[in-house]
Amino acid sequence: MNRNQFLAVLLSELLVFPAPGAAPTPKSATPSGLLPEVHEPLRQALQKPYLDLFEEAPRLEFSPSQIEAMRKHLERSKEACVRNFKKRSDDHGKELLRVQRDLKASTAKLSDAERKERHCRIQNLRALENQAKVLAENAIPVAYDNLKAKLELIEKWPAEFKRIQAEIQEGAHHRRKFGDVKDIGFRELVAGQENDIKDGQEAVRQMKLAGLLPPEIDNPAIKEYVSKLAQRIAKHSDLRVPLHITLLNSKEINAFALPGGYLFIQRGLLEAVEDESQLAGVIAHEIAHVTGRHGHKLMKRATFASLIYQAAQLAAVILTGGAASIGAYYALQYGFYGLGLVLSLDMLGVSREFELESDVLGIQYAWNAGFDPDGFIRFFDKMATQEGYVSGLSWFRTHPPFYERMVHSKREIMFLPPKSGLVRQSKEFEQMKTELAKLTAKAAEEEQQRPSLLAPVEGCAAPAKIEYKPGQPIEELCAGSIDSKAASR
Amino acid sequence: MRWVNRFQSCLAVIAALLVALPLAGQAPRTVSLYFTVEDGDKLVGGLTEQNFRLLEDGQGRSFRLAEPESPILVTLLVEYSQISGIYLSDIEQAVRSFVDAAPEGHWYALATYSHGYTIHEDFTKQKGKILAAFAELGQPVWSEVDTYDAIYDILEKLDLLPGRKVLVVVGSGLDTFSSRTLPEVQRKIESSNVTVFGIAAGTLLRGQYDAYLGTGARMELTQAEAFFRMLADKSGGQAFFPRFETAYRDIMQNVFLTLQHQYRMVYESRTPADKKFHRLKLEAFQLTGDKRKDYKVRVREGWRRE
Repeated sequence: MNRNQFLAVLLSELLVFPAPGAAPTPKSATPSGLLPEVHEPLRQALQKPYLDLFEEAPRLEFSPSQIEAMRKHLERSKEACVRNFKKRSDDHGKELLRVQRDLKASTAKLSDAERKERHCRIQNLRALENQAKVLAENAIPVAYDNLKAKLELIEKWPAEFKRIQAEIQEGAHHRRKFGDVKDIGFRELVAGQENDIKDGQEAVRQMKLAGLLPPEIDNPAIKEYVSKLAQRIAKHSDLRVPLHITLLNSKEINAFALPGGYLFIQRGLLEAVEDESQLAGVIAHEIAHVTGRHGHKLMKRATFASLIYQAAQLAAVILTGGAASIGAYYALQYGFYGLGLVLSLDMLGVSREFELESDVLGIQYAWNAGFDPDGFIRFFDKMATQEGYVSGLSWFRTHPPFYERMVHSKREIMFLPPKSGLVRQSKEFEQMKTELAKLTAKAAEEEQQRPSLLAPVEGCAAPAKIEYKPGQPIEELCAGSIDSKAASR
Repeated sequence: MRWVNRFQSCLAVIAALLVALPLAGQAPRTVSLYFTVEDGDKLVGGLTEQNFRLLEDGQGRSFRLAEPESPILVTLLVEYSQISGIYLSDIEQAVRSFVDAAPEGHWYALATYSHGYTIHEDFTKQKGKILAAFAELGQPVWSEVDTYDAIYDILEKLDLLPGRKVLVVVGSGLDTFSSRTLPEVQRKIESSNVTVFGIAAGTLLRGQYDAYLGTGARMELTQAEAFFRMLADKSGGQAFFPRFETAYRDIMQNVFLTLQHQYRMVYESRTPADKKFHRLKLEAFQLTGDKRKDYKVRVREGWRRE
């Protein structure tokens, strides 16, 4: 070892071992104020899927005060992060206005190069403003709500788990609502499903007439697979009317059922599901809306709320998950401004009640048809994690989140009689995915060729800073949003 | 003698360049000319090349009739400002009628304007999305009506797209604070191959309050009307001034019927890129024996190559 090598080794050792007397790092320097040995495992637990947490939560040992500290931290982080990105959006917006005014004032004097430079700046500022706005209004709140739901699960699930086990041991679970799962197909949930057929037909006719439905998928293999799967679930459900399945060629992650058995599934949903049990879970959930006659019930309640609406239209508004902004469409059609708001406020409780009911029934139907009912939770988890980053409409968006639904669903799964050979994945599903990939590629190609008024100005450098990448963990995105003062509060 | 030869060669090159330079600006370009033929209030179809005569700057041009390009790119541009509030029901009626009348299969987009313009729905074949996007608009923020800017900018965007393009403008035709001037918009429309249909919102209201208007207000409204007529004449489109609410339904049906009956004439335009306006004249006629019956042709007035 020569002299230089020796010095290098010595220096590296000095970096690894702090000098005696150096100040130690404070042990409680975590953003939640918890000790690192508490904060870190809790933070890691919050990153786990719901199904894993259901397993692990009874074994986790966090005190109520630690959970509370983490909850406050999440709340503060959410507020700070939303504020931060809202400010960024506002700043980009102000800068955008300034550049636009400048362009307007000097437009006659600008050379082509100067004009292009301003156009590029406007284009980039618009992109940054929108990005920050989407994050502040959607992605960040959804991501933190999801984390808070998981925290609630860690806190409350152990006790709930014991209660469920006790109920099962005592046989009390048989007395729950819809507890007669062995009689699926023979029990009477709500009489008169067949009376909804006319309403469903009318809703479909109107949606088609209004040009609100995307084109249908014309791939026979995909149609046959999904149809077979849906009919299998229908056969093992309480459905008393024929099921009509339509596959729509659009990228939205959405599925909806209209009264009378009219089921619509969009391409985006087929792309999003990872296995057969996930798809079965969603289809079963939608069939449950039909068997529960939710469209019909909504219409009745809407009459009480003095909304002048027809059953089919109302059902279309809520049960489509807002497909193609149909609510707003009817609002205008009836000259009733702000109807979307009226519906979302007056009907929220109703919609929430029906969603929870459909979760339970859907899980029962998927299980009864031989599919792993956990698929529904896994798909829900995936959507909850990614939802904030998903643009456009989605199946998930109008459905009530998070903790309540997860626990509600898990409880139902635990109550179901044990069954072996439940299907999670199948070859047919994988073949469908192969066919779907071709369709997706074709759609992407068509999208490329779609004329656009929003086509970017060519030759502009990308914005100086891209705010986020889809799928990026929320903590990374929000790092630095929460100041030290707020953290220590 | 060699230098004499070289000198002669140089002269030849210079002469060739001098001849070629102006021609470069006059390089012919293939254009699609869209027009309708009318006999009274009826649209005339089924005419062939023998029924037309095309003149560009007074010079006859050879042409062929071709199948119209499809799908059409139809942009609905709607005034949506605080001051549009008083005739908002007209605007709503127009948008609803537009969607009802629009046939399937074409591309539709929706943009609104007040202080600047906003594209609410980019080109889609789900026409219902246009109405849905309009229904979701919040209260207008600005009280400006920058009609000239909006039309200019949308035309500029449409210029970048290939195919058959149509712009349907619904608004008052007034302009409060545009940076573009009327002559600039006129020049733009003369150089763009976009058929423009102008639908004047608020005409009904104007009729009702006409007696109370001052000279200045009347002048502005007359100018607004003239603006819509200019858009139509320059582009081969039409201007409409509905005097009752239900008229919007007929107007929108009329717009799409017109598009359905438009002829497409393809020819080599020889207008130079001299930034000047060059007139077009298109005659449509039917010869029966020695009798000639002339039809009215709704076609753009000419071209300007910038």
